Amino acid sequence: MSATRVPPPLSPRARWTVRSIGAAAAVGMALTVWLGLWVTPPDQVQGNLVRLVYIHPGVAWVALYLAFGLAAVASLLYLWPRTRSLFWDRLAAAAVEVGVVFNVCTLVSGSIWGRPTWGVYWAWDARLTLTAILLVLFLGYIALRRLPADPEKRAKRSAFVCLFAAVDIPIDHFSVLWWRTLHQGATVLNPDLSPTIHGSMAWTLLISFLSLTLVFVWMLLVRYRIGVLEDWLGSGELDVALRQRQAEGSSAGTADGATGTDALGTGPREPVPSLVPTPSSPDPAGVVAAGHPAVPERAR
Amino acid sequence: MWRDTLLVAGKDLRIEARSRVALSQVVPFGVVALVLFAFALGPDRTRMAAGAPGLFWLAVLFCAVLAVQRSVAVESVDGARDGLRLSGLDPAGLFLGKASAIAAQLIVLEVVLGVGVVLLYGARITTPWLIVASCLLGTLGLAATGTLYGALSAGLRVRETLLPFLLLPIAAPVLLAGTRIWQAGMAGGTAADGSQWLRLLVVFDAVYLALGVVVYGPIQESA
Amino acid sequence: MNYVIAGYSIVLGILFLYAAQLVWRRRRLTRAVDRVVAFHEDGARRTDGG
Repeated sequence: MSATRVPPPLSPRARWTVRSIGAAAAVGMALTVWLGLWVTPPDQVQGNLVRLVYIHPGVAWVALYLAFGLAAVASLLYLWPRTRSLFWDRLAAAAVEVGVVFNVCTLVSGSIWGRPTWGVYWAWDARLTLTAILLVLFLGYIALRRLPADPEKRAKRSAFVCLFAAVDIPIDHFSVLWWRTLHQGATVLNPDLSPTIHGSMAWTLLISFLSLTLVFVWMLLVRYRIGVLEDWLGSGELDVALRQRQAEGSSAGTADGATGTDALGTGPREPVPSLVPTPSSPDPAGVVAAGHPAVPERAR
Repeated sequence: MWRDTLLVAGKDLRIEARSRVALSQVVPFGVVALVLFAFALGPDRTRMAAGAPGLFWLAVLFCAVLAVQRSVAVESVDGARDGLRLSGLDPAGLFLGKASAIAAQLIVLEVVLGVGVVLLYGARITTPWLIVASCLLGTLGLAATGTLYGALSAGLRVRETLLPFLLLPIAAPVLLAGTRIWQAGMAGGTAADGSQWLRLLVVFDAVYLALGVVVYGPIQESA
Repeated sequence: MNYVIAGYSIVLGILFLYAAQLVWRRRRLTRAVDRVVAFHEDGARRTDGG
């Protein structure tokens, strides 16, 4: 029988890494909630509403810059011939999905903050509109990926869509500078002033950013693994079923699994990947390499 | 590259001239849309005049989707796309050519719709150069993004339903900026607000035109 | 303060639900992969032995 195309189970070290990141994220979030809701003082101007600053900017940063930014970079790396690898495509897809979730959190938390502050749940100023547009753009990305397609074509198409959508990220970022919007200007990343927020609030803000980043990283890793498994099942299961039918129907030994020809004899769809992660996969932690089949173009 | 641009633009426009699809279907659709918007918004003239910029750009956006669909469909028959790929045409020229053809059709459409808006909604224009500039720049943006997404979705069987879903959010900044500029150029607006949004349109156009020139080749290969 | 609590709960709720969904998906897929691999190995054993 052919070499089975198995996504190797995660090594114990990889599993431990993911788990500890998850644990750290949970602890960080609990700490953020405790600090945010109880320890830090209310603001002079906004009162208790300022406590939302430990949620809203953090999820916004993760969604727009970390998640979608990472997806854009990964898409670029996929398109660049020298670094082309389905690893980047899967990473981008994972980053986009998690980013969409955080984007929803951004809009929801912003909306809840907006109601008592500005009187409305929603306003059509530039920043909110652009953030909502980004959400729809990346939902389109996810929809596009659902279409059945050859993995490389899908990867290329998705990469382009991601890059086009990512053009709106800098526009969104500068929208508070370019137009009069309801949003205040940047406080932490303000190019003119030093951070205008002090004391325990500053620490809590930092912790909130770190915790939400850890949450993102954990979600990214799990979602990446899911992507690997889904892709394998999508292509592997059918081959197995076809091979079984052929083995039942004809005499033994007709299955050409070893050369990678699928049961219908239509030629190699994908070269048989090795069971061992290839050394070229760009993953220092070894966490994701376990799920990465052989880079297709190397065998082509 | 420019020679190829003219070649491709000429080809698309000649096809349009012979088949007259844009003229006989897309423009009337735009007019119908304007009329339907008028029904929806009701008989209050001030409300309609206030909504005129947005409704104009909405109609243009929807017609742009149709124009892009048509531009892609023209090449999906008889292996024309493969023919184009093998013809040795510079992909950047191909991109600019197709975009120019779409832009030309959209300009014609906008003139018709603009007249319609002034007549139907009682819109009064105070700063015409703003209106014209917004139309020119907005059209460029729509044509560039439309051509890109048209190529991206060219090989897909669900193109008809997917293309609007992909294209409209990307084109939303054009809608936003166009509407604001029109509002600035009509009774009650100031030119200063308008020029801010014009700047956004310029950046938008520059980015997507540049992206298109660079990226159209690889997109074609993967379609 | 109600708004604050609402904001915290909704956002954390969304994140938690999504995290739970991820874990569930991963578990379901891992089990599916295991089943496919086991079937594959069964088939190999059958054709080799038969």
